[in-house]
Amino acid sequence: MIGAGIKRGTAELAVLSVLQEGPLHGYELARRIEQQTNGALRFTLAALYPMLYRMEQQRWIRGSWETSANGRKRRCYRLTPAGKKKLTPLRREWEELFGALQRLTKAAHA
Amino acid sequence: MPDWQELVRRRLSGLALDASEKEEVHAELAAHLEESYGMLCRNGLPEKEAAERTMEQVSDWRDLQAKILIARRGEFMRKRAQQLWIPGFLAFILSTFFLMTLPKILGAHPRTVESVAGTILFDVPWLAALPFIGALGAYLSSRAGAARTIVLLASVFPVLALAAALMLMFPIAMIVDPIIGNHVDFRNVATELLKVGTSWFFVPGAALLTGGLVVSLFFGLRSSQQTRWLDSEAKDA
Repeated sequence: MIGAGIKRGTAELAVLSVLQEGPLHGYELARRIEQQTNGALRFTLAALYPMLYRMEQQRWIRGSWETSANGRKRRCYRLTPAGKKKLTPLRREWEELFGALQRLTKAAHA
Repeated sequence: MPDWQELVRRRLSGLALDASEKEEVHAELAAHLEESYGMLCRNGLPEKEAAERTMEQVSDWRDLQAKILIARRGEFMRKRAQQLWIPGFLAFILSTFFLMTLPKILGAHPRTVESVAGTILFDVPWLAALPFIGALGAYLSSRAGAARTIVLLASVFPVLALAAALMLMFPIAMIVDPIIGNHVDFRNVATELLKVGTSWFFVPGAALLTGGLVVSLFFGLRSSQQTRWLDSEAKDA
């Protein structure tokens, strides 16, 4: 079973990576992550918003209300400089972890 | 189409946030549900099924409410405790301990200084220990990632706690003393306040702040060096 820490780490990495491409509102953010991971990562509303609010408290992302072209008000999230700074080491950590796991599974197969 | 705004408002009615913040959360979640529902309908699902599938996104509304509250408030409270309350109270306990034990251990008597307000007492060994206590409070606060203002507040916390206690006791004494028959001379109140303020707040506060400032300057210097290093790392990456 995947631990809560690992789950949280992957979810945060996913959100920060997608927001690096540009600001998005919650629903679109979840959809983009699902599309880009071919459905491997899915966020329900119950999982997404507590995480977004926590990341906002940590000042990695900032939410602000914006009105779309069709007049709908949506809360858009964008990456902050602190979020950009967080993304670099986070990405490196996950690359190292997956690299190590890959080497391990290859060695076990050989 | 279901009234998503009303539904969220009803299900998350117990969300203990400010009215405006609560309204914001309700509006944001309702917009998400509305969008999900709209997408499912556009994909050809009948309205009833689309509504059911949308609702499946939240299996436990009470749990979601608790999680939102922790995310919005918990982090702030946890940080505030680590950055201010714990270092501040530790500094307060240490300063009280030293105030009670140091004069006995060293056998030193309070030093008296004559001023226009009268005789002011200073506990020199205690005052000498205060910069170190202020520095400890500031160090613990800095280590928890506090901003400079919070770091300095943590360092002078012992005198702030004393001031709060005095502000509470003083009006009570003003009411109680006449009742129990003690004569209160209001002309002396300002003089007494000045004397108490000098020996218990201003001078000890300055001593604590000295230690706090040294640590704050040191950490400020270190964090700016780290930021420069992280920036250069990020550029290299």
